[in-house]
Amino acid sequence: MFLMRFTERAYVHYTEEDVKESFRSAVRLTFSNAHFDPRLGADLYHQYLDEYEYAEEVGFDGLMLNEHHNTPTCMGAAMNLEAAILARTTQRAKIVLLGNPLPIFDNPVRLAEELAEIDMISRGRLVSGFVRGTGVETWASNINPVSNRERFEEAHDLILKTWTTPGPFRWEGKHYQFRVVNPFEVPLQKPHPPVWIPGTGSPETLVWCAERHYPYIYLETDVEATQDMKGIYAETAREHGYEPGPQNFGYLLRINVQDTDEKAREVARGYLVGNVGVGRIPLPVDYMSPPGYNSRDARFRKLGERIRRDPLRGGGVDTAAYEAILQANRIIAGSPETVIKKLRDVLSVVRPGILGVWTNDGSISHEDTMRSLTLMGQEVLPALREIGQELEMTDPFQKAP
Amino acid sequence: MTTTQGWTEQHVQVAGTSLQLFRGGEGTPLLVFHGPEGNPGWTPYYEALAQHYLVLAPSHPGFNGSQRPAWLESIGHLAHFYHWFLDEQHLEHVHVLGFSMGGWLAAEMALMCAHRFAKLVLVDAAGIKPREGEILDIFLHSSEQLAQLACDDPRSIPQYEEWFGGTAAPELAQQNREMAVRLCWKPYMYNPALPALLPRLRLPTLIVWGREDRIVPVNCGELYQQAMPGSVLKVIEGCGHMPHLERPQEFLQTVREFLGP
Repeated sequence: MFLMRFTERAYVHYTEEDVKESFRSAVRLTFSNAHFDPRLGADLYHQYLDEYEYAEEVGFDGLMLNEHHNTPTCMGAAMNLEAAILARTTQRAKIVLLGNPLPIFDNPVRLAEELAEIDMISRGRLVSGFVRGTGVETWASNINPVSNRERFEEAHDLILKTWTTPGPFRWEGKHYQFRVVNPFEVPLQKPHPPVWIPGTGSPETLVWCAERHYPYIYLETDVEATQDMKGIYAETAREHGYEPGPQNFGYLLRINVQDTDEKAREVARGYLVGNVGVGRIPLPVDYMSPPGYNSRDARFRKLGERIRRDPLRGGGVDTAAYEAILQANRIIAGSPETVIKKLRDVLSVVRPGILGVWTNDGSISHEDTMRSLTLMGQEVLPALREIGQELEMTDPFQKAP
Repeated sequence: MTTTQGWTEQHVQVAGTSLQLFRGGEGTPLLVFHGPEGNPGWTPYYEALAQHYLVLAPSHPGFNGSQRPAWLESIGHLAHFYHWFLDEQHLEHVHVLGFSMGGWLAAEMALMCAHRFAKLVLVDAAGIKPREGEILDIFLHSSEQLAQLACDDPRSIPQYEEWFGGTAAPELAQQNREMAVRLCWKPYMYNPALPALLPRLRLPTLIVWGREDRIVPVNCGELYQQAMPGSVLKVIEGCGHMPHLERPQEFLQTVREFLGP
């Protein structure tokens, strides 16, 4: 099992009232950046990078980053820059980008170059994930939402070709046209860096991933819904002549470890303060899914009906009370012993080859985060490796997906 | 005065796709183009116009009951599509009246082929970037916000609740919104070249605008008038984006006087 560490790198220095008073009471997209203090931002970037480097030190196999725009909930608007820094300051852990939002780029070749640099500087440790981006990314970059999926697929194809076909070549696509694709910077990993795709279960994406043997990383999804989604992936996989296993998917979970259960429960409340915006105000539907963003394809709508609704989330936020979230193991908080036990329960059902350990977010302090990482390194990670072996949760570096 | 024979809803084939068309009345054909919210169906103002003209009120491809050909993704494409429609229907020398985005469409069609039009009416039309103010981003605002912004005084319209208050057909509203997004996303609601091209048109043109239009500023009406020699701009005071709903009598009288028999 591949263990990677994640945080959204949130900025929480604003209030619920600030959000409520803003245009459409939304914490993303239109919430004024006047609420952002770059002096605090500067400190936070260093703090977050310190945590990632420490995560490698305590034994994580991978360091996972994400990208969002126009929001205090994630400071990774230029995720590749953070990746480049870690490529230089870390030595061993994979740098897992989940992921570059392809549709927002008008120049996928430039993105291919950036990722090639990261792969080389890290000496071949890049995992290059791609996403469609949420609707907010589309609004912020002003890419027409109706083109989102087409651009995602075409940009992906262009990047993969740029990485694997010697240049120069021409590309005359529907959304991208290039006369001379010939970047000198090519990735170190051959045939190309691994591609993993994170998401919350869009059927169209699940099918597309399965067609390409791309591991799908379920982002903290309801356990039963995850099984529904895995079923959709598996169906397509079988149509393409293979049986998927743990190496074909990952699962991201909020996990915080402290010296005692009581302390951990108190600390873990911080996940809910700022990760989805201080005040947990659901976003307008149009922000996350602008008109034209979702598929009208009847085939995928039909598949979508097979996926259970998440009872604990809505409008991009946890809607349930903290206790309910803990009960459902959607946040796992406790002493090392408690956490190991709860993880065993969850993992024996979900059995992913990749576990995303979302160690902190929102208002959880740097100090508590570092303590959590220390305890994880000492007790939880070794136990997870045992569980991983016992339950045969092979990862994509052990067995090709 | 001829009484209308009633109206019909038909589907006609254009460019290999099915176009939903509301049709009623007799006389010179009057092509009426709806805005980004979709086709309201056979409305009282269509009925009033049908007393004097043959009203043809299609749902644009992708809106309401009309199919979209896969190649159709812009207002320019839509203008070509409707010329195709006029060809297939053997319609010449028609009047055209466009509301909002439909007005932009009418202007583009006129530029492509002015001689098949008799007269042009633009009502609070998109298509020109204002120098004063901005065209409201209707996609970023909620439907509740738009309901307040669309007219100067929402309470003055009897059908207001029916047309803007409810979510009577949310799927249809979403479909229409999506098609409007496809057509108008960026540059948002205007063609940068339009002001430069319009001066060559020699087509009798009436431009009607609500002074208090908070969607497309009245400055756009002024810019249309300046770009079109001989055109007439009629600004209705105390009126917002929808004079046909907010000031139906004044609106119809103005249009009728301009179009003639």
